[in-house]
Amino acid sequence: MFRLGLSSVVALRLLAAGAMVLSDDPAVFAAENPTWQPAPMERLVKLPASYLKKSLDQDFAQSPLGQAIRDSENQIGLKAQTMADLQNAVGSAAGDVGMELRHQFLAEKKAYVALMSGKNALRKKHLETKAKLFERMLERMGQDKEGASAGRQELIVQQQQARTRFAASLSKVDLQVFATSAAPESRYAAEYGKNMTAIEQLAQAISAHPMSDSATRDGQPMSRQDAVRAMLGEAQADLALIQQEESMLGYMAKLVSLDAMALADEAMDVARAESDVPDAVNPAGAVSFFVSR
Amino acid sequence: MRSWMKTLLVAKAALAVTLAAMPARAGAIENMERERAVLILAYLDPELQPGEREGRLETAKRRLVDLERMTLRDEGITGRNTPVVRRAFANYDLTFLVHAAIEKNLAVADQWMDQLGLTTQSLMSARHGRRW
Repeated sequence: MFRLGLSSVVALRLLAAGAMVLSDDPAVFAAENPTWQPAPMERLVKLPASYLKKSLDQDFAQSPLGQAIRDSENQIGLKAQTMADLQNAVGSAAGDVGMELRHQFLAEKKAYVALMSGKNALRKKHLETKAKLFERMLERMGQDKEGASAGRQELIVQQQQARTRFAASLSKVDLQVFATSAAPESRYAAEYGKNMTAIEQLAQAISAHPMSDSATRDGQPMSRQDAVRAMLGEAQADLALIQQEESMLGYMAKLVSLDAMALADEAMDVARAESDVPDAVNPAGAVSFFVSR
Repeated sequence: MRSWMKTLLVAKAALAVTLAAMPARAGAIENMERERAVLILAYLDPELQPGEREGRLETAKRRLVDLERMTLRDEGITGRNTPVVRRAFANYDLTFLVHAAIEKNLAVADQWMDQLGLTTQSLMSARHGRRW
């Protein structure tokens, strides 16, 4: 037979109320307010697309916010282990011990939901910072592209046309100036060809390097702008998933609250059944005292 | 500091150097214009004997070919919207005189005069007088 005192029932009621409040306050465990300040955007926009993600991840991992998320994950792992142990223990215990273990199990579930909410608040902060950064980068890249004045754009076109025209006349000029002349080829002309061969080999090695600029998606090479847009999409997808997880945690908190109320009711029923106070406190139950002398 | 962190820092520094590498070589256009002026002076100098003129022209032309190529291959001036670069690329036929002349099968002097509008006809019809 177990006896759950009034204080335990009050504790259960408070647990139920706490679990309900928890679902409305996901940032309760992010009270220390750790932050992540990404590297200056001027540096990030110059990084190769494939390296940008790694650089950001590494920068985040070293930040207070990244450390806080790792700590939170460790605590959640330990809490899940405790919950599994308690669940097993509750199944095999009875009486006062069983009731106490159920109480503890509920308290651990509440703490788990609180930890998860805290972690999600931190993750949300990380993803929002990342999404804002990508948006600003895209804006900046757009400005760079559109920022070229009409005069500059015209100049770039003229330079492209000049180089095309030059490439077309190159061999003819070589033939006429160098091949027909008695003078030796200039040092620049001689060295340029050799250097170009070396440069082409280096360029091939760079394009074949795993850390090279060529970010790809589905096997197709992506521009830096496309890569940033893809990373922004991933961050926004993660934010949407966090929102869904928050709903899930809300349901979990509600279940904890309902379980706590059920346990409190059960404890009250048992306490009432074992009470020495007479059950019938209405006048009809006391009639026998009056009819006999 | 851990060794892998040191390696990472070195790699980052190398990347930064790569990104900032190859600044535009200043004065490629100015050098080319100077050499072109030398070539034109060699054409116009009345003091030069034909043989001497021929030698000077040949040397200047070969040097100018190299300088024109250096300018055209210089990625550092792409989109650099300065008066010198703008003026240089506004008229390929005049700026890259030797390449344009050979492309059109003209003598360099003919190409230059053609670009300045100095045709035989215009010279023959010219007369002395005061411009009002």
